[in-house]
Amino acid sequence: MLEAEATANMLLMTQPFSAPKIEEQPVEVMLVKAVLDGERDRFARLYEMYAPLVHGILLARVPRDEVDDLVQDIFLHALKKLHTLRDPRAFAPWIAMIARNRAMDFYRSSRETVEVTEQMAIARSPNRTAKEILDLIRQLPDAYRETLVLRFVEGMTGPEIAARTGLTPASVRVNLHRGMKLLRERMGIVSEPPAVAGG
Amino acid sequence: MNDNYLWDRSGEPDLDVQKLEEILGTLRYQPRPLEIPNDVRLRAGRPFFTKLAIAAAIGLVAIASGLWVNFNRHRTVPAVATTRDSQIDQKRNAPAPQIAPNDNASQLAVVKGTTPTNIQKRHREPARTLVAQNKSRDTAIRQSTLTPQELAEKEQVLLALRLVSAKLNLAQRKSQGLPQPNIIRNQHKIG
Repeated sequence: MLEAEATANMLLMTQPFSAPKIEEQPVEVMLVKAVLDGERDRFARLYEMYAPLVHGILLARVPRDEVDDLVQDIFLHALKKLHTLRDPRAFAPWIAMIARNRAMDFYRSSRETVEVTEQMAIARSPNRTAKEILDLIRQLPDAYRETLVLRFVEGMTGPEIAARTGLTPASVRVNLHRGMKLLRERMGIVSEPPAVAGG
Repeated sequence: MNDNYLWDRSGEPDLDVQKLEEILGTLRYQPRPLEIPNDVRLRAGRPFFTKLAIAAAIGLVAIASGLWVNFNRHRTVPAVATTRDSQIDQKRNAPAPQIAPNDNASQLAVVKGTTPTNIQKRHREPARTLVAQNKSRDTAIRQSTLTPQELAEKEQVLLALRLVSAKLNLAQRKSQGLPQPNIIRNQHKIG
């Protein structure tokens, strides 16, 4: 009977033809399924888990004053469109993509404001404020600034950034390394010379 | 620069990185509750159209499997009839007619007593005398083509197809919002 059941599941393409395995589902998978089954309250948990990710992605792109409202809008949009998510395991990269698209739409609609921000002269001061450093990060290439904001502002580690954005760990590591190098140059920080093999 | 600390805060701390963490950490996300308006409606699960498409695809697979099994079953019968016809002709010292493997009309013409009015009727079912005489041989030949393992596998496939049918019914009922039955139909067939 078990074998026939497995064959039936294979025909239904619900799982590969193998012995049935009991696997623990990630939390977000259970939460997404619960929300789709009608338990709206479960969405609050998803919001708690991924709001820092969305906040960091937006902070790398749009003015700080707009970020909080946009975070709310993005999650409401995600709630309405949750049924279009094919794989619940991909919730984090999916909502990250929504956040980037929304930031792009905002940038297009308020280009003037952003341009003024970018043209601000940032003095080479040893005691830069958080806003000044953030503005320096925003001038970096897109891939670097998002990774640096998630690392330094939201406090995520490289593996966490990779897991939530859907990037490979290798890509995130390269972005962090190169982004940090560029940021040091912009800030006027002299990096330590590489260790020379003595002999 | 200590890359490991920048990567996952392991190893010896990098002073520049620590300083950036301290300064930029003041901009970190501050939790605030999500306000969901009452008029926000959720659409449950996959759209009905997607389920229907999946069910239709599975149905096609099931039909194709059934046709394949049926085709294989019928393919053995004409071969046996043709062999037997040749033997009858040789016994009667009559020239053996050219019989096409799937040409039922010409096969029936060889059988004694066949009249034109009966051809159409007998076209639907093979000549009973022929089948009756060769039934055991026919069955023996047919059974000999399938090994016990193949017979078991065939049973498994048929069983799986019945399960597929049951699951499709359940999926259809669920997508239509109908109450799901507790009993699976034809349970004796499923086993």
